[in-house]
Amino acid sequence: MIGDLLLSIFNADFLYSVIRITAPILFAALGAVIAEKAGVVNIGLEGIMMISALFGVLFGYWTQSWFIGVLGAVVIGVLLALLIGFFAFEMKTDIILGGIAVNMLGAGGTIFLLYMFTGMKGNTGSLVTRELLIPTLDIPLIKSIPYLGQVLSGHAVLTYLAFLLVWLIWVVIYKTPLGLNIRAVGENPNAATSIGVSVQKIQYIAIAFSGALAGLGGAFMSMYYSQGWNSGMVAGRGFIALAATAMGRGEPVGTMLSSLLFGLAQALRTKVSGMQGVSSYLVSVIPYLVTIIGLVLYAISIKNKLKKRHAVAKGAE
Amino acid sequence: MSDRRLLLFNLLRGLAAILLALLVAAIFIFISSDEPLTALKYLLVGPVVSFKATGNVFNTTSFLTVLAGMIPTIFSGLAVCVMFSANQFNLGGEGAIMLGGFVGALLGIYLKMNTGLHQVVCVLAGAIAGGLIMLIPAILKVKLGASEMVTSLMMNYVVMFVILHFLNFVFADRSKGATQTFPFLETAKIPEIVANGTKLTWGFVVALIFVVIIALFMYRTKWGYAIRMIGINQSFAQYSGMQVGTVIILSQVIGGMLSGMGGSIEVLGRFNSFLWRELPGYGWLGITIAILAKNNPIFVPFAAFFIAYLNKGCDLMATYSDVPSEMIDIIQAAIFLFFAAEQFLAKYRQRIVVRNAQRDLALQEAAASQGGSN
Repeated sequence: MIGDLLLSIFNADFLYSVIRITAPILFAALGAVIAEKAGVVNIGLEGIMMISALFGVLFGYWTQSWFIGVLGAVVIGVLLALLIGFFAFEMKTDIILGGIAVNMLGAGGTIFLLYMFTGMKGNTGSLVTRELLIPTLDIPLIKSIPYLGQVLSGHAVLTYLAFLLVWLIWVVIYKTPLGLNIRAVGENPNAATSIGVSVQKIQYIAIAFSGALAGLGGAFMSMYYSQGWNSGMVAGRGFIALAATAMGRGEPVGTMLSSLLFGLAQALRTKVSGMQGVSSYLVSVIPYLVTIIGLVLYAISIKNKLKKRHAVAKGAE
Repeated sequence: MSDRRLLLFNLLRGLAAILLALLVAAIFIFISSDEPLTALKYLLVGPVVSFKATGNVFNTTSFLTVLAGMIPTIFSGLAVCVMFSANQFNLGGEGAIMLGGFVGALLGIYLKMNTGLHQVVCVLAGAIAGGLIMLIPAILKVKLGASEMVTSLMMNYVVMFVILHFLNFVFADRSKGATQTFPFLETAKIPEIVANGTKLTWGFVVALIFVVIIALFMYRTKWGYAIRMIGINQSFAQYSGMQVGTVIILSQVIGGMLSGMGGSIEVLGRFNSFLWRELPGYGWLGITIAILAKNNPIFVPFAAFFIAYLNKGCDLMATYSDVPSEMIDIIQAAIFLFFAAEQFLAKYRQRIVVRNAQRDLALQEAAASQGGSN
């Protein structure tokens, strides 16, 4: 059985599915990265993904264009994030509670909204046709390389975008004035204020970015991954994204690696649960357990680093 | 006098937030429904009024089922009060409730005991299970600094899938169509206060007793004081010599125990066998309730009543009109945002504070000038 498992892990199809499963987590996790850099905790990612996923399908259906569907999902994501921001920054609602409120809207409010707009209950059924799915893309040269082509080529446009965004967001954070301001606000708001940076404005921008990215993740889920919206669709991916960001130390590349780890765990779950004599429920635990273990390992490494630093400081005395 | 006016203001402010949330709900109902007035009628007064051709009468049975609906959420609300008071955003209530319910159920099926003692043992076991599971995020937070929010969220899913495994492969009653355990022994079931089918069990009384216990604990013991101090200013608590780590762990274990207790009482009181196939949702309701109660245990039953009432209203609305019962989530989200908003109506609060200060000043001056003339 273990042999079969190892064989199937190095199978090109399996690695392809890892990348596919990672994409939505990566979108949301990158959203969490930007928010965190500006010192904002956005735990509403889960709810934003749900609501954006729904509106992606609806906008796509109304305009009969997948592209406008995705754009609509992003706009809704930004609006929801700004809603959290408004209540957190202006009305002084605890930002974690604001996030939970949006998650509630995502859980039950979506079912209500779907009914309000279409009269359907629980899922969008036939609204998503083949033409309305996010299209896939074959990469010209890589496509013809055996094995590698099977793994890397033929993904949805948004999958490539997710991995491209890792680099783009790194550039924004570390190579642009905006990124400098974001980091300044996150690291020391008082210092940022003293040099004339509006903390609130930067935090609004950061949380809007995080909403847009979670919106992309939602659109990916409903308009490609599960080919339609249903109420149990996001299934904690927004929360897993938070964990991935924590484990990736809030850096874009680290976050991508930990997102891939969760993608792998989730793909493994799908693979193993198809095998005979394995409890699909116990296998379902894997991604969440991996998250906890990852967080623990990360926390230990931070602790050791701090200890070492103290030791060095003591030695210098 | 001034304190009373501020208290009154806080009360009115809370009412305004709730009214605003209901207004949001009403707007959504008017947009989406073909029969908005029917829907609103069932939402707002349905839980306590039965509409008959001969006139509207108070519906006692329905009212009692609303009270029964408060049982698990009083416990989860108290749990969140304790945990959030220590400024720990532990969201693991869901998992602890499901686990407590499951452990209580298993002992209710396989343990043979006299009734009376049997229920106590089941519920205590549920509480211990809930407390133990909360130890994990608590210890990870205190010892390693891992975010209790993320670990507790992940724990919920782990707990759920592990329970589902045991429910499906170990303890399932194969003679039933749906996935469920064997029925509880009669000795383990928690009876209704009056046998009338409303499910208003003795668990309700236990819940109210725990409201008093937790209120005393939070405001009359040194541990409760430490929990609240850490929530207000952790550094201060640390410098003044409190065992911050221990108290944080304690607060979450108590939260877990209350959740687990609520889960087992709910399962043994409401059902004949364990049949939860997903997280029950009471943990999240507990957060709403704790916010409405401003983390004060004494207000928890009132908040729980309000939420149970709304829940029932939404169910009735979904049954008798075309509005889905998920409306409750929209109302809750709106309550969340406005109720927890410190700046909501803050201008008026400011005005009251200023007026009080001016009056106090005037009184002082008057007293001073009188003192001078003597």
